[in-house]
Amino acid sequence: MPAIEVDGLTKDYGSVRANDGVSFTVERGEVFGYLGPNGAGKTTTIRTLMGFQSPTHGSARLLGHDVTDEAELLAAKRRVGYLPARPAFDETVTGREALDLHAAIKGDERREELLDRFTPPLDREIRAYSTGNVQKLGLVQAFMHDPDLVILDEPTSGLDPLLQRSFNDFVDAERERGLSVLLSSHVLSEVRRICDRVGILREGRLVTTERVAELLGRTGKLVRATVADDVDTGAFDLDGVHDCACHTTAGSDNRSEGEADDAPNDGAGRTDADGEAGARARTGPVTECQFTYTGDVNALVDRLDEHRLLDLDVEEAPLDEVFLRFYGSEGADDSD
Amino acid sequence: MTDLARFEARQRVRGAAVAAAALGGFALVYVFVYPTFADSLGADIDRLMEAYPEALSKAFGVESLASMEGFLASELYTFAWMLLVGLYFGYAGGSLVAADVEHGRIDMLLSLPISRARIVVEKFAALLVPLTALSVVVPAVVWAGTAAVGHPVDAADLLALHLLSIPYLLICGAVGLVASVVFDRASHAERASLGALAGLFFAESLLTGTDYAAAGAVAPSRYLDPNAVLLDGEYAVGDAALLLAAAGILLALAVGLFRRKDIE
Repeated sequence: MPAIEVDGLTKDYGSVRANDGVSFTVERGEVFGYLGPNGAGKTTTIRTLMGFQSPTHGSARLLGHDVTDEAELLAAKRRVGYLPARPAFDETVTGREALDLHAAIKGDERREELLDRFTPPLDREIRAYSTGNVQKLGLVQAFMHDPDLVILDEPTSGLDPLLQRSFNDFVDAERERGLSVLLSSHVLSEVRRICDRVGILREGRLVTTERVAELLGRTGKLVRATVADDVDTGAFDLDGVHDCACHTTAGSDNRSEGEADDAPNDGAGRTDADGEAGARARTGPVTECQFTYTGDVNALVDRLDEHRLLDLDVEEAPLDEVFLRFYGSEGADDSD
Repeated sequence: MTDLARFEARQRVRGAAVAAAALGGFALVYVFVYPTFADSLGADIDRLMEAYPEALSKAFGVESLASMEGFLASELYTFAWMLLVGLYFGYAGGSLVAADVEHGRIDMLLSLPISRARIVVEKFAALLVPLTALSVVVPAVVWAGTAAVGHPVDAADLLALHLLSIPYLLICGAVGLVASVVFDRASHAERASLGALAGLFFAESLLTGTDYAAAGAVAPSRYLDPNAVLLDGEYAVGDAALLLAAAGILLALAVGLFRRKDIE
């Protein structure tokens, strides 16, 4: 029995079809990332899974229980933890009182251990909490009854980097114990370390589900190379290079490639004032090229080696660009 | 089993104490003002009543001001208790669910293994805290106060009036509760509830004695008459049972609506 089964889930709000025939499965012990740009419909799926709203078509099961049947949904919720995108508690009570309510209804076997890791100020009224502290309290309540499945809507928003790492370590350890997780995010880099598999949602449709390792291979890198020469996009005419754009600067004046020949005096005019930086710029033209690369890294390194590099920056491509390239309406044609 | 109700009830303790103190104080003022009022007007006191515009005396149930009982029935019980306290419960009922939906707190509640019906019923049950506080403090103050100023009100009548008014106040809260599951904003639910309750209260009093009196039958205020209880010792138990049943129907309606509601 899988942790989550979603089959042909459609949610029509009248003006917007927030989910359109979404189907996926999260296996037991799997950490599944539900990704997509803001407004793609991630929260709609999660709210339907939690039974907050009913699907227009299709079905969903949590731990084998049909979420549209309240008795079954309640049985599932005893074993499910949940963190909303913007967790909100009764503001007039302290964190401890809020947790006491949750404990009374669903149990709190792991409360103390979780409070050691995520440390919300328990004796303060929640109205005085920062966003980060509310998020910590939300994480504690999501895990305190030792659930089999946890559904987290944008769990890392509002957490500082240190706590985010602690959260990642925690999820890793829980997965080892057999916990199943569905977590949504619009930032792939934040969740790729903890997800086994991701589903990518765009405009209400699930465009793909794949293993993180495979996705990362396909999403490519964002490469920014600064070359000590006047080159054009042809310099990086390699398989796997997409959307290459180059910008040449000669002397200390910022000019685009096409204008590079017709103003030879500009650099001289600022020689004295610019000191060393100006002197370096005057040694010759500098070209900054930026492109997304999805090919073999060795081929890229060989090609870069043909140039004298002033700077090189290689980072993971932002998810939004990945969507456009591989799953966008225009991008679909040139993704070969 | 009743964890949510107990949690919600604790949140209401302070508000209930404030409301009970305020209304108790209000009642004391009435009680202590009455002897001066009665002495200065003497036998002419009911002539003053005749000088009231008819609609006004009907609205506030003025039947006789010649006794402490008649004075309290109109000034304290019809005006302050039935209208103001009734609106207080309508207002409190209006925020029960809608405020949680508006501020996103409902997600956290719905994620718990607790049915939607329980959420509605247990939240409504928390209104028993202010209801109990007011129903204990106000009669105690009135009883002790009227005895102190030498115009004692019959304790049995007073107790009966407060028991009979419990279904009345419950129905006011239930009207608010229905608005609270219909609207997604507390302010909208509160306004709808206050508008409905105030409208029904005044419509009923204005329609009484006209050809349209039957239309006032839907107003809760038709079924509670402080004058009859305090002046004549008549306890309309059947009317109170009717109110209680209607409150139960409204509660069931709220549960039904909330169970079908999409929380977006």
